[in-house]
Amino acid sequence: MNKGLKKLTKRNEPYIFLVVLALALLIQFRSGQFFTGNNLVDIASAMVVPGLFAVGTFMVILSGGIDVSFPALASLTSYATTKMLLDAGYTGGIWLPILISLSLGAALGAFNGYFIGFLGLPALIVTLGTSSVFKGVMQGALNSVQLATIPPGMQAFGTSSLFVASNPLSGLTSRMPVAFLVFASVLLVSFLILRYTFLGRGIYAIGGNEVSAHRAGFNTRRTKFLLYVFVGMMASLAGLIRTCMMQQNHPTNMLGMEMNIIAGVVLGGTAITGGTGSLTGCMLGTLLIVIVENSMILIGIPTIWKSVFVGALIIIGTGVSAWQVFRANRVAKVRFFRKEVPTI
Amino acid sequence: MKRTLSLVLCALLLVSLLGTSLAEKKDWEIVVVPKDASNPWFVHMKTGVDEYAQKHGVNAYQKGTAEIDATLQAQLIADLIAQGVDAICVVPVNPESLEPVLKQAMDAGIVVIAHEGATLTNVHYDIEAFSNEQYGAFIMDNLAEAMGEEGLYTTMVAHVTNASHNEWADGGVAHQKAVYPKMTLLEAEPRVESEDNGDVAYNKAKELFKKYPDLKGIMGTSSYDAPGIARAIEELGLVGKVFTSGTGLPLANKAILESGIVKSLTLWDSALAGQAMVSLALKVLNGEEITAPVDLGVDGYMALTFKPGSDKVLEGQGWVVINKENVDSFGF
Amino acid sequence: MPESLLRAVGIHKSFAGVHALKGVDLTIMPGEIHCLAGENGCGKSTLIKIISGVYQPDAGVLEFNGKSLQKITPIDAILLGIQVIYQDFSVFPNLTVMENLALNSELSEKHKLVSWKRMRSIAQDAVTRINFDIDLDSIVGTLSVAQKQMVAISRALMFNARLIIMDEPTTALTRREVDALFRVILQLKAQGISILFVSHKLNEVFEISERFTIFRNGELVRTGQTSELDSAKFTYYMTGREFSEQKFIPGEIGKEPLLEVRNLTMRGAFEDVSFALRAGEIVGVTGLLDSGRSELALALFGIRKADSGAILVKGKGAAIRSPRDAVRHKIGLVPEDRLTEGLFLPQSIADNLIIAEIDRLAGRAGVFDREKRAREIERLVKEFAIATPDPQNAGQTLSGGNQQRVVLAKWLACNLDVLVLNGPTVGVDIGSKHDIHGILRDLARQGMGILIISDDLPEVIENCSRVLVLKAGKIVTEMDADHADEQRILAHMM
Repeated sequence: MNKGLKKLTKRNEPYIFLVVLALALLIQFRSGQFFTGNNLVDIASAMVVPGLFAVGTFMVILSGGIDVSFPALASLTSYATTKMLLDAGYTGGIWLPILISLSLGAALGAFNGYFIGFLGLPALIVTLGTSSVFKGVMQGALNSVQLATIPPGMQAFGTSSLFVASNPLSGLTSRMPVAFLVFASVLLVSFLILRYTFLGRGIYAIGGNEVSAHRAGFNTRRTKFLLYVFVGMMASLAGLIRTCMMQQNHPTNMLGMEMNIIAGVVLGGTAITGGTGSLTGCMLGTLLIVIVENSMILIGIPTIWKSVFVGALIIIGTGVSAWQVFRANRVAKVRFFRKEVPTI
Repeated sequence: MKRTLSLVLCALLLVSLLGTSLAEKKDWEIVVVPKDASNPWFVHMKTGVDEYAQKHGVNAYQKGTAEIDATLQAQLIADLIAQGVDAICVVPVNPESLEPVLKQAMDAGIVVIAHEGATLTNVHYDIEAFSNEQYGAFIMDNLAEAMGEEGLYTTMVAHVTNASHNEWADGGVAHQKAVYPKMTLLEAEPRVESEDNGDVAYNKAKELFKKYPDLKGIMGTSSYDAPGIARAIEELGLVGKVFTSGTGLPLANKAILESGIVKSLTLWDSALAGQAMVSLALKVLNGEEITAPVDLGVDGYMALTFKPGSDKVLEGQGWVVINKENVDSFGF
Repeated sequence: MPESLLRAVGIHKSFAGVHALKGVDLTIMPGEIHCLAGENGCGKSTLIKIISGVYQPDAGVLEFNGKSLQKITPIDAILLGIQVIYQDFSVFPNLTVMENLALNSELSEKHKLVSWKRMRSIAQDAVTRINFDIDLDSIVGTLSVAQKQMVAISRALMFNARLIIMDEPTTALTRREVDALFRVILQLKAQGISILFVSHKLNEVFEISERFTIFRNGELVRTGQTSELDSAKFTYYMTGREFSEQKFIPGEIGKEPLLEVRNLTMRGAFEDVSFALRAGEIVGVTGLLDSGRSELALALFGIRKADSGAILVKGKGAAIRSPRDAVRHKIGLVPEDRLTEGLFLPQSIADNLIIAEIDRLAGRAGVFDREKRAREIERLVKEFAIATPDPQNAGQTLSGGNQQRVVLAKWLACNLDVLVLNGPTVGVDIGSKHDIHGILRDLARQGMGILIISDDLPEVIENCSRVLVLKAGKIVTEMDADHADEQRILAHMM
């Protein structure tokens, strides 16, 4: 085995990729509908919102933290944005809603970031708390109800497409939403931040060893603060896109998504203790969850067995990566005992 | 000091108890618990309840949980029991999981009236706007009309555990078998779940149409179903080829009705249902005897009859159809 | 007289009322190897943190390279050429060697964007300076302790370091690795870099340093040329106590072996190991890190399974497949890394003490007997002289020596016949070390069989009645304590 290939087998991504591929083949075999243009577009389109959430969640977990408040944050910001623009009778394009959403998301993210970064409180407790606060503000202060219509600019953005894929056999067509571009750009920006800025390397460093990161000269507090601001912005963007794509805003139907998103990120090989993981793995994990969630009928799993099957797939997926990590560690341990002293 | 205080409190309690039993007509506290507080359906119900309370001078109000969640709903009811209200009118999220807390309520002497909870045992009465079978048949009539009374169809419910959605679906299927011989139920996937979430309904519909190219119609039940399915129909380029009908709110579905993606939706008026519950609770609290046909003084609930074989479930005739002609006439 | 590189005079520092440094002085010359010694809690870590800008002194003068230092930050200290290599090396286990090496300098130059090419060349330069041969792309978490240390040293050298402070650098190293480290230190000295070597290991201080400074309880006890120092003085300065060094003289030794090992083999670790341990004996097993000594300890306690051979307890074959089996046969293990294997650090000292005998403390119906527990804890704290204001404090509040005593006490509470200790005094200061040795000798005299697995040769020679030397998994020799000396043992080990 050559060196590059050997390195690949120690990583988690190829295994998740194989699981995704196996699932795809199973769906193809059961329905003949997986590898069709419109189905692939459907999956890409279904990926947008969970994908945006997953990017944020990935970065937080990478830093050794956790965020369970993003669905509430997204619900609150998208509701507030939509409601505000409806009340104002806004008829312009998508940029203003995006701008408002991002600012609200940054503000709420800063709220998380202040408590976690500057006051050093545990991320889980803080975000559980803010999750409640966000929901409370939405339902109490804003007295939220379902918004059946949204401003025309958002409506247009939600239905506009990059291209339409059609299936020559069934004639079914699927739109690739313009929002996918947003998702792709966020992915690119996140990749660049993580790989080519010291802010991004700081996130890895803090996840690896926070004390060392501080000693090395990272401003750990500011890094964490900025991280949660960024995550707040990603979540609010996801919330807005979801509202646009659904053509209406329902204040509560994103709540509860955090578990599947976190599961997807961890499935993709991100260590829940922080420090290790890759964006590729995170996306593969999320893709797996999205496919599973949206393919039960295609596979032909009876509705009542759906939860069991979804759960089983998550366990198998995580199991594969856990087994892989376990194997890698065992190899490392044996090597450690056998190791020669370094020659100097 | 503490002792005296508790004695005084006991005395007060006793006096107030005596006072209530003596009073001829007291200010009963009646609470309506919907599935959640934000769904426009229940917001509309609240309007009805508030209107009734004002008109009849009753202390009735609506209180809902933030999300559609069976556990939260049970907690809310437990809180209301502790608070000592006189009647609880509930639209259960999951009837089975609500039974224990409703039993507590009844044990505490609270009058319990349900709506859309025909399977509940721990209630005084359950009001259905209509017989679930008949409403299901009514949806089926609408779907069949859209489908030209022929072709393959399936049904969608919020959850397979949801009592009334499944009774409607069963009623619809039974009606189809009796009346529309050219229609067939998709046996491989006779019932799918939308989880009361428009996005799930949309994705499920897309899957169904992909996997079953012959599928021509989906009968929706939850108010999230038909709009979600309509979004899928529009995107997949199937307008005019496949159809859906089901419960839906007028304003929320104005666009899909007017554009013709969906021909008609069905509904009952939640405001009236809320009023009917409060009215029935008052009757029970005032010790009136409940014998069919019951007249609650609310439109569509003037002659409720007991569901065959039940002495708890009362059924009215409260359904309506919404189409592009009348969509603007409801005000919600 | 040459100009000093670092001069600290009359440094005071208090934390929440605790006077950690009471006016200490320290002078380091350019290019000198200076040893700072003292028991745990003597204030040496605090002084290091003051020199490196982590803490500000309450009073005192600090001069570096002739300049007075007022209010310096860690970054200032680094820019001045002061580098600290912490015990945990401050490395990022999840990142590559390259990033670990290059991050500090990149950050100090305030780069905002990453250039992987630049990082690689920085890292390459760093490792070449000490001829450290390593794959720059390997993840640091997978390296050995010695390699991680070399990464930390290479990193420290990149800032034109004038003074490198090493905080107990030899704690987790094998003898061979210590030698390699010392070679690097001498190399650095040759480049004119001063080294402040923090240690409490006598032999290391003698071997490497030119001058020494010893602290005790936040005060300067003695500073001077290492050549003036001898073992007795060193120990006295450190502890303020006189210890008579004498070899262990066993009491009555049992006739039948308590524990007998016959042809025990674990593939890849050790093979054909046979020995016997009698009541009242202390037997030492020594060898290099890769000699299989740790695996032997784990096999005796059932954590890892031997492939073949037999373990006999009191003459009868015993199947030891798990720690539970071992405890049932009255065998206890004090593990190599007490911090991760022997103690529940966040749990209270009290709970740590009684964890192994928890079954015995249960009253009827398996319910915990609180009074019995309290009595037992009181007894153990007293008997083992564990220095804590309150046994309900967390285990991690204790010093290394006291932590080790808790681990010992935990096992001794279960009335064991055989106690296996793997590196019993690693990271423990001299005073506690003597106390622990005292406890072990007492236990042996009371009839327990004790097996000390250690590469601390003076410890083995002083305390054991017999010494077995392991080399590459095989017992190469067995010698009586009377005939054992360091040179002879080393000759067999290498």
